[in-house]
Amino acid sequence: MLVAQVEDLSKRYGTVQALDRVDVELAPGCTGLVGSNGAGKSTLIKLLLGLLVPDQGRATVLGHDVATDSLGVRSRVGYLPEGACLPGDVTAADFVAFMAQLAGLPPRPARERAAEVCYQVGLEEERYRAIGGFSTGMQQRVKLAVALVHDPSLLLLDEPTDGMDPQGREDMLDLIARIRGELGIDVLVSTHLLGDVERVCDRVVMVHGGHVLAQGSIAEVAGTTEPGFGIQLGDNGPDVLAALTAAGLEVRPSADDLLVQGSSDLVRDVAAERGWPLRRMVPRAPSLEETFLRLQAAAGRPPPAEAATPPPAPEAAWGVRR
Amino acid sequence: MTELGAPGGTIYDRGYRHYEGPREGRGRRMRAIALAGVRRVLGLKRNWKTKVVPWGLLVLAFGPVLAFIGVRVLFAEAADEFFTYGQYLRIVAGLLLLFAATAGPELLCPDRRQNVLVLIFTRPVTRSDYLVAKLAALLAVMALIAIVPLVVLFVGNTLTAESAATYLRQNLDDLGKILVAGSVLTVFYSLVALAAASLTDRRAVATAGLLGVMLGTSALANILFFTAQFEGRRWVAFLSLSGLPGRFVDWLFGSGFDPGTLADQAGFTGPGYLVAMTVVAVAAAAILTWRVLRLRA
Repeated sequence: MLVAQVEDLSKRYGTVQALDRVDVELAPGCTGLVGSNGAGKSTLIKLLLGLLVPDQGRATVLGHDVATDSLGVRSRVGYLPEGACLPGDVTAADFVAFMAQLAGLPPRPARERAAEVCYQVGLEEERYRAIGGFSTGMQQRVKLAVALVHDPSLLLLDEPTDGMDPQGREDMLDLIARIRGELGIDVLVSTHLLGDVERVCDRVVMVHGGHVLAQGSIAEVAGTTEPGFGIQLGDNGPDVLAALTAAGLEVRPSADDLLVQGSSDLVRDVAAERGWPLRRMVPRAPSLEETFLRLQAAAGRPPPAEAATPPPAPEAAWGVRR
Repeated sequence: MTELGAPGGTIYDRGYRHYEGPREGRGRRMRAIALAGVRRVLGLKRNWKTKVVPWGLLVLAFGPVLAFIGVRVLFAEAADEFFTYGQYLRIVAGLLLLFAATAGPELLCPDRRQNVLVLIFTRPVTRSDYLVAKLAALLAVMALIAIVPLVVLFVGNTLTAESAATYLRQNLDDLGKILVAGSVLTVFYSLVALAAASLTDRRAVATAGLLGVMLGTSALANILFFTAQFEGRRWVAFLSLSGLPGRFVDWLFGSGFDPGTLADQAGFTGPGYLVAMTVVAVAAAAILTWRVLRLRA
C-alpha cells in the first residue's frame, strides 16, 4: 500500500508555477525528496499536509484525501519544518508536551511521551532548559521530537540537517535511519543534499522547476545514468574542461577530479594531442548527484527561484555538504 | 519495555514505544491552547521578569479588597464601606486596560514572530480553533481581574456584615451588576486587545498602539469637546474609547458622572455607551477574525 499518492498536482504562486502536473507515489520506507532551492519540494510537502490548496489535481496521504480531510492527515503525520519555528522562552519538555496535546494526547501521557521522545532524540537534561539557549543542532532535535511525539505513521522532514555542524548532521542522519529502521515509521526527507539521501533513504523523488525528473529506488534512478570516469588530466583547469567538451565528452568538475562520461579513448586522444599528463583515470559508478545533474540539464528548465538569482556556488550545485 | 534483569537491580531498555493510549478531540486540543495561553499571560513556567506585570496588576486588583476585608474582620467598628462596588470597578477598569494591553500581544504576537504557527497548524488544529482558544484564554484571565475581586469583596461584605442574610437580601442586585459590568469590560477589552495584537507580530508595538489609541482618543475627545464649537459636539463623547467602560459602570451603579466632565456635559446615559462599546467590540472581533483566519503557516 502506498503511503502517499499525488496525481496531476499543480500549484502556482502568482506568476511562478511551483508545481506543474506532478505525479508522485510514496512507497513505504524512507524516501528522499531532492531538488535545488525553489524546485518545489516545500510546496509539495505543504500540499501533502493540506496547508496549501492545489490549483489542480489530488493528493492522498495514509488514505486521507488532503483536500477534504486535512485534519485526518495531520493527526497521523509528523512534520519537521525548515528554519526557525520554536519559542525561545519555553523548555523543550514543555513545548514538546504541548505539541503532543495538540495532536490529541491527554496532558499526562503528553508529558510522559515528551520526556521519552526528547530522550530518544538525544535531549537529556537539556530538555528542561529554555529552547532559546539551544544550538542549531539541539533545536533540530527539538523539532524532530515535536514531529515524533504523537507517534505518527509518516514523518515529513524538510531540510532536517539544515545549518547543522558535521557531527550534528551525522547524528541527525543516524536518528532518521533509526526512525525508519527501528521505529518502523515511514519518512519523506526533503533536502538539496544528495549525499544525505544516499546515506539514509532507499527511494528518491527528484524535482526540478516544478516537475518530477525521476522517482523510484535509488539504484533504479542512479541506474539511468551511464557509468563514467573520474580523471585528473594536467591541471584539470578550464582549458582541460573545454578541450574535453570540444571532443564530445560530457564533463563536470567535482571536488578532486573531473567526472567524464563518454569514451575513454577520447580522453586518451585529448591528452596525447595536448601533451597533458593523464595522472589518473578510474571508473566511477554514477552517483545520485550525477544523475540529478544530468536529468536537470536534460530538462533544461531552471527552477523559478534560481532564474532570478545568481547561479549557486559549485559546491552548492553539486550538493556537497556545507 | 524490555527488562534486562540483573542481581541487585533492574535495567530497563528505554527504547521508543508506540503510543497506544487515548486521543482526545477538538475541544481538548483547544483547551490545551487556552491553558498554555493562560500560563503564558501569567508568566507561569517562565522567568521572573515575565511575572512582574501580570502579578503586579493582580496584586493591585486583589490587594485593596483583601486588605479591606481584613480590616473589617479585625476591627468590627470600621464597618463602613471604604469604597463602593462602582468606585472599585472604575479602578479595575484602568487595570484591565493595562492588563489587556500586555496580555493580548503576549498571546498572539510571539507565535507569529517566532514562526511557531507552522508547527501549530500542522497539528489537527484549525485557525478558528486557535482563535477561539486564544480568546478564551484572555477572557479567563481578564475575568480574574474584572469579576473575581469584586465578588470576593461582595462575599467579604456579606460575611462581615452584622446580618449576612440581611446584607445579601438588600444588596443582591449589586452582585448582578458586578457580574454584568465585569463581563462587559472583560469582553470589550479582550477583543480590542487581541485585535490590536493581530495587526502586528511585535508585542511592544501592539501594546503601545493599543494604549495610544485608547488614551489618545480620550484626549482628542476632550480637546474637541472643550475647545471647539460645532453642531453636535456632544457626540465626541463616543470617540473616547478608554472612557466608554467607566461611563457605563458609573451609570450601572448609579453613581453619576463627575461634574464638569465630558461625560457629564455630553448628556448620554449608560445604554448609549454600551451600544458604543458593542460597536467597537464587534469591529475588533471582525478585525481579529479576518487577521487570524488569514494566517499562513
